[in-house]
Amino acid sequence: MRAAVRRSGGRAVGTAVVAAVFLTASPPDRLTAQDSQFGIRGLGTPGRWESVRSRSSGGAFAPFDALSPLMEAPLADISQLTATAAGGTSHRDAQLGDTITKLRATRFPLMGVAGRVAPRLVISGGFTTYLDRSWDVTLRDSTVLRGELERYRDEITSDGSVGDIRLAAASRLSRRLAIGAGIHILGGSTRMTAERRFDDSTFHAVGQVAEVRYDGFGVSGSVLIGVAPGLTIAGWARADNRLRAQVGDSTIALTDLPRMAGAGLLLAPSPRVRFAGSAAWRSWSNAGPGAFDTWSWSAGAEFGSGRMPIRLGVRGGQLPFGPGTKAPTEFAASAGTGRAFAQGRALIDLGVERLERRGGILTERVWTVLVGLTVRP
Amino acid sequence: MTRRRLALVGAVLLAAACVERLTAPGHCPDFCPSGQITVVDTLLTTSINRDSSYRGYVVSYQSPVMLAAFLSDTTGTLDGRPIFRFNGFGPRLPVSSVDTGQIIDADSARLQLYIVRRDTATHNLRLQFYRLPTTIDTTTTFDSLAGQFTDTVKIVNIDALLAQPGQKDPLTGDSVVVDTVNHRWLLSLKFDAAAARYDGTSDSGAVAYGIRIAADTLASIAFGKGSVGPVLQWYLRVDSLGMPVARKPGILGTTLANFVFAPAPAPLDSTLAVGGVPSARSLLRVAFPKFIRDSSQIIRGTLFLVPAVAARGAPADSFVMEARTVLADFGRKSPIDARLDDPIVIHPGATDTIKIEVTSMLQLWAADTTHPTVFLLRSRAEAQYFGEIRFYPSKAALRPTLQITYVKQFPFGVP
Repeated sequence: MRAAVRRSGGRAVGTAVVAAVFLTASPPDRLTAQDSQFGIRGLGTPGRWESVRSRSSGGAFAPFDALSPLMEAPLADISQLTATAAGGTSHRDAQLGDTITKLRATRFPLMGVAGRVAPRLVISGGFTTYLDRSWDVTLRDSTVLRGELERYRDEITSDGSVGDIRLAAASRLSRRLAIGAGIHILGGSTRMTAERRFDDSTFHAVGQVAEVRYDGFGVSGSVLIGVAPGLTIAGWARADNRLRAQVGDSTIALTDLPRMAGAGLLLAPSPRVRFAGSAAWRSWSNAGPGAFDTWSWSAGAEFGSGRMPIRLGVRGGQLPFGPGTKAPTEFAASAGTGRAFAQGRALIDLGVERLERRGGILTERVWTVLVGLTVRP
Repeated sequence: MTRRRLALVGAVLLAAACVERLTAPGHCPDFCPSGQITVVDTLLTTSINRDSSYRGYVVSYQSPVMLAAFLSDTTGTLDGRPIFRFNGFGPRLPVSSVDTGQIIDADSARLQLYIVRRDTATHNLRLQFYRLPTTIDTTTTFDSLAGQFTDTVKIVNIDALLAQPGQKDPLTGDSVVVDTVNHRWLLSLKFDAAAARYDGTSDSGAVAYGIRIAADTLASIAFGKGSVGPVLQWYLRVDSLGMPVARKPGILGTTLANFVFAPAPAPLDSTLAVGGVPSARSLLRVAFPKFIRDSSQIIRGTLFLVPAVAARGAPADSFVMEARTVLADFGRKSPIDARLDDPIVIHPGATDTIKIEVTSMLQLWAADTTHPTVFLLRSRAEAQYFGEIRFYPSKAALRPTLQITYVKQFPFGVP
């Protein structure tokens, strides 16, 4: 028995080490979420505040998942120190008219640590992607210079993101009621380049580079109510002030950030079957022209034991930035599973998601493979 | 088994993580950044001022070549004549290991010359050699030698020599070797006793020659100096106990290699002169606009210069004028910044507006605000061509202008 415990503990420690390496070996600017062409003309592509477990079920379980940074109240049910991280690789086909461009990106959009510090108090720290701002656009065009038509190729790139560092606390006030609150420090940077190369080499190439830094602040609060055995509802709200963009010592832009609210419903008719649904609203139109308020929804299910469950889900909604007068839309279906190791001290979650976004003449189709790692040492 | 699966998943993830492809064609304005690269083109008509010209940087005897020309046009005749001198061996030469003998005279001599530049269109090119006073020096002028270029000691027709079998003339002993690699001709010319008179007593054996050239058209060539300069081999007769004996002393190089020419260059006036002999340079001071210097990226700069008169010089002797900048503005003694130069070929007779691309220099000025914003115009090969060009100065209506194409600062960070 003692040997078995020692072996389990060893695996947990080993898994924790792997998790630490997994998280720290990646450069900070790659800690970003799935990006999209729709975010180029705007603030960026909003991140998904969901663990791999939640995302595999369409995001429907995010309001009830302690490891998803959407809500704070579920943290109240964490009994021991827990760390989690997620990574994902997406293969994206961006179809503009008849032109299809195949894109690929790997992101590590989530890390968090939570632990109980008092019988009724759990605190958590971690970060996730608030806005992804990694993109690379090439453009072929011409202009008249000195009386001649000069053809050129532009390449404008942005590499980086705005991260959301969350410090949260949650407490279970009663068997049926848990509450939580958090503060959000938004920060990050993008390295932006703008290049132009003329076909006529008499015109020298243009190359400009800038490091754009971002900062902002937000607060959030949430509540989790057990209505009846097997039935839980959740509600959350969040307000962010503004996103300040700075180049050097100069403030380039101050953009208002959205207020948002959401709710969810969890139905667990048996320990092996769980259903969930959620919806959220975000006032992204605060960000200025070309931005839209968004609604999003999700529904999902989880079957099986905690050792190796099956997860399914769908989600849909709108994107905040896009051309025209209507917000682009998205729809996704996802599936996944997970596996516990070392007597539940380590969890690996796997997921796959098929996403389609539409807006104007652009359609994006994305396959994303997700891996999540959770450690409870 | 589980470990193998995990390893497989890890390997797949690792492989996927190593490749990232974000580049996509833009569809503007819907799916492009809101900011765009903005190009501005501006013509600065009054930014060049306080210009000046100076002459005398490289004079004829400092030139690495000796110029020869005889070109007539409506404005006159350009006549360039190489002059060079060899020192002698004095009155005596060794006849044995212990004795010397009086040099009686020269049996002959062989002169070798390199023609390092010529016009391939020149026909019936002839060289006429004249014996000159050994007193010629670096101050000798065309006029002071006018009376000396009267008695020809030798005439060589280069075209005829080239037409000979083996390019050797068995009658005169002259030959020519065509160096196709270095594009030059090596002339080896035999001077008989009359042409190669050795006077060891009064002149210590020194001898000086001058060359005039003639051709059916385009008589303009350049002779080498220094390592490819003229050399002379004497074949002397020396008295040895009353018996003349032949002696072949060592080969002599020149102690002076120069050229004289007429007409002399016109005096500098208000125009901006570049080139000629002695070489002339011009300085153009630019009031570089701050709005370009401080907040933009220059992608093209062109300096426009309007010739005040047609460029002078031998028709075939197009020369390269270069625009440079200076490390400090000390007027005529401004040290040249050797890092950058922008060249353009000047064709004699041309009156077209000269356009020189000066982008690199403008970029340097923008990057280093302490750098003097001065253009210096000079001939790349100073005093190696008769060619000279003069431009309208900044006070004229057709003043120098500067066209700059630049890109404004990209609006990074603007959503």
